[in-house]
Amino acid sequence: MILPVLAVAAALTQPAPIQVAPGDLAAIRAAVAAPGASAVLVNLWATWCDSCRDELPAVLQFARAHRADGVRVILVSADDEDQRDQVAAFLTKAGAANVQAFIKHGDDNAFINGLDPKWTGALPASILYDGHGARKRFWPGPVTARDLETALHELKKGKP
Amino acid sequence: MNLIAAKLFLASALQALAVGAPVPAPAAATKMKSAVDGKSVSIADARGKAGTLVIFTCDHCPFARGWEKRIAELADTYVKKGVGVILINANDPAKYPEDDFAGMQARAKQLGLQVPYVVDETSGVARALGASVTPEAFLFDKNGKLAYHGTIDDNHRDAGAVKAHYLKDALDAVLEGRPAPVAETKGIGCGIKFR
Repeated sequence: MILPVLAVAAALTQPAPIQVAPGDLAAIRAAVAAPGASAVLVNLWATWCDSCRDELPAVLQFARAHRADGVRVILVSADDEDQRDQVAAFLTKAGAANVQAFIKHGDDNAFINGLDPKWTGALPASILYDGHGARKRFWPGPVTARDLETALHELKKGKP
Repeated sequence: MNLIAAKLFLASALQALAVGAPVPAPAAATKMKSAVDGKSVSIADARGKAGTLVIFTCDHCPFARGWEKRIAELADTYVKKGVGVILINANDPAKYPEDDFAGMQARAKQLGLQVPYVVDETSGVARALGASVTPEAFLFDKNGKLAYHGTIDDNHRDAGAVKAHYLKDALDAVLEGRPAPVAETKGIGCGIKFR
């Protein structure tokens, strides 16, 4: 009897597994443009990328802090597509409950230029959009909590 | 602005070299130590009669690793045709210990590299060319003008599944004195860890 009880207790304390969908350029664009967001942050990362892992807590904290304001956070992993389960497990463990998660699908060149011509393809990178899906900020390299908060504040104040 | 922020700003603010441009003079003459034989070589030293291929790469990055055999094969093939090749590691090994000189020596031996694989000690050469990712290729024609800039091909994982051989096609074009069919491409990769 003890084992099933433990299993139930473990299940109750485990966070719900994060779903990671294959995302080509069209899917990411649709997720950005879906109505109902006040702002959208797209973070491009990979499990093997140290600086991506380092910035992830700030990105997840940003997602938690602004979920109620309608800020949508979309994580796009550039891990190989057959690593989808590992990416999902990684995000589940990281507590990425309030984000939409994708794994990149399709040709790099079109994907990179389609998302933002300023992006060279280097990971990590982040893009902030307003609630209408218009690109407002692009960060090559890691972002900090302060970068994100400042940019969101400026976006809400209507600064260009 | 502190030093790290200043470096990040510089790294992100720099534009990559434009197609048709030469290697900026100070960067072309910068001597860099090769993990293949310990000799110091510059991009100018590596210049070939038919063209010059500069690839920023490293040891730790899964994308660089995915392409490393193809990079070594392309280097061997095109050196024989008169293209000078130099592979450059601009990463700060403090951030990725695998990218230190010993790591580069081990990688060079494992791959049997016949071309210089050098350390860009200040990341200054990477900055001068506007490189940002590994691997990232800059191919110059016989006149020293940038003919191709970008990724190796369209599949870092599986050489057999490649549909677009961007760099190889550009190399063939340079040998024949015509413009690269696609002069600029991008591929996802590891951001260069600038010093």
